[in-house]
Amino acid sequence: MSAIDRNNVHVSGTGPKAMVFAHGFGCDQNMWRLVAPSFEPDWRVVLFDHVGAGGSDLGAYEPVKYASLSGYADDVVEIGRDLGLKDAVFVGHSVSAMIGALASLKAPDMFESLVMVGPSPRYIDDGDYVGGFSEAQIEELLESLADNHMGWSAAMAPAIMGNPDRPELGQELANSFCRTDPDIAKAFARVTFKSDNRRDLEKVTARTLVLQCSDDIIAGHEVGEYVHSHIAGSQLVLLQATGHCPNLSAPDEVTSAIRAFA
Amino acid sequence: MADEPVEDLEDLYENAPCGYLSLRPNGTIAKSNATLSAWIGFTPQELAGKRFLDLLNIAGRIFYETHFAPLLRMQGFFNEVALDLVTSSGARFPVLANALVRRDAEGRLLFIRVTLFKAAERRQYERRLVAAKEAAQSTLSEEREVSKLREQFIAVLGHDLRNPLASILGVAEMLLRKSQTDQTRTYLELLVGSAHRMSSLIDNVLDLARGRLGGGIGLNIESEVQLAEMLLQVVQELRASTDHTIDAELSLTHGVRCDPVRLGQLTSNLLGNALTHGASDKPVQLHASSKDGVLEISVTNSGKPIPAAAMERLFEPFFRGEVRRSQQGLGLGLFIASEIAKAHDGTLKVESSEDATKFTFQMPLS
Repeated sequence: MSAIDRNNVHVSGTGPKAMVFAHGFGCDQNMWRLVAPSFEPDWRVVLFDHVGAGGSDLGAYEPVKYASLSGYADDVVEIGRDLGLKDAVFVGHSVSAMIGALASLKAPDMFESLVMVGPSPRYIDDGDYVGGFSEAQIEELLESLADNHMGWSAAMAPAIMGNPDRPELGQELANSFCRTDPDIAKAFARVTFKSDNRRDLEKVTARTLVLQCSDDIIAGHEVGEYVHSHIAGSQLVLLQATGHCPNLSAPDEVTSAIRAFA
Repeated sequence: MADEPVEDLEDLYENAPCGYLSLRPNGTIAKSNATLSAWIGFTPQELAGKRFLDLLNIAGRIFYETHFAPLLRMQGFFNEVALDLVTSSGARFPVLANALVRRDAEGRLLFIRVTLFKAAERRQYERRLVAAKEAAQSTLSEEREVSKLREQFIAVLGHDLRNPLASILGVAEMLLRKSQTDQTRTYLELLVGSAHRMSSLIDNVLDLARGRLGGGIGLNIESEVQLAEMLLQVVQELRASTDHTIDAELSLTHGVRCDPVRLGQLTSNLLGNALTHGASDKPVQLHASSKDGVLEISVTNSGKPIPAAAMERLFEPFFRGEVRRSQQGLGLGLFIASEIAKAHDGTLKVESSEDATKFTFQMPLS
């Protein structure tokens, strides 16, 4: 299976350069539905799902490969190769900001610019470093994942996927966006929240924009500052938007910031 | 009639059997009801300054921000979300939450309305279910591992037993071809019969192990097989090891496309079963016919019928009916026979009554 099929890649828009949008933990490419379309008139827009999320091929999930963010970055590079991307812009939300950074290190010609939306190189506090969470809090998160019906309703997903010509079936089911395979989501949560990519930041040579939200409990202000200060020449823009998902809560602000940078 | 009480909507809101929260677009609490205050120990005034996220434990906050906040934005609601509220004393208060976005006529977000249901016992129950599922899964995978090892052991053992047995049989058959006293001949025939019986037991064991290890029952299909010869040889071998009478009635006019050795094994297993379980004073009957596009081999014995409870499990491996200990086999004969039938796209069925017990194998001739 090609990376295009495996990662449910959708390409739209026309333009001399490509902009790749990557979703974070908890969602799929739907995350960009309010931002990506506005780039279609002058950019080649690439959307995809990480393996385990959305319309990706769940059968392609390999526990060893995806035990680190590097495995996810390899997928990004494969997608880029298949599409012949060069000097593209990678827009990564949340954990995908780091996945994009790793991809840019693996394939330096592929991405000339990185837009990091709510990035964090490490979520767990470490000495002087403030990640925002203690080890115990992250463990509690990982244990509580099974509580939610995200996992219970997995059995209903085929009802939607098996009837693409009957979208009303999907509408009847609650929470049909951002479906993730529960077992893979659990592993992805572990990889995400236990990752430590602080050492990779200084290796980044791509032009980098950090979009930092106000009042983001997942990636707080100090974390955004840390990323900004460890990537040489990076820009930091503080958004008015609150929370962790400005691409949904304040799409216009995010779009303007990306346009001004790219 | 006394005045019927009128429902008071304000009171319904405040003292509903669920918690109500209205959030501003930025996530801070605009309004909440008395039920919620009673549950978590914060006054409405204390709640008014907080964000909804502040009421959750850390894990819940992360989960809410990564999963449910996006869902609310995209589909305008979420249902049945499990969250833990943190009370004023720091205790956990498990709830199930539904939320719905309220917009004005222009589509601007006014409030996010959240309804909370107490779910402490449900949460406990669900956690136990999850734990039980995990325990069952790990036990299952351990058991599978052990069972695979056991079957590998059986395969190796069966294989190693085969060679010495073949020597015993070879020597006994060689001695039978030489002139012997009647008594020695009788002993040798017993020896050969027992060796054949043991050999077919080993074959069954090996087939079971192979089937379980993923190989399935292997067939060497030949066309135009004259099956009568093979069946008579099977009957002869069994006659040598028993005092029962075996009547054989074969009307095989067509050549058959099949694995002759496997069908011999199937027949041998059915006959062996009939000899073990049938009444010893009545003959066991073997019928074989090829007509109307169907090959049929049936084995009939008299004696006590098979109990109804046993009928269902008859073709399972290691199933043994009630017989004298000395006659007990491994319980593989009928299982292997049915596997051989399946491998030939055929069926193996059983009827049992006071009069007779009859196993019938059928397969298409073409």
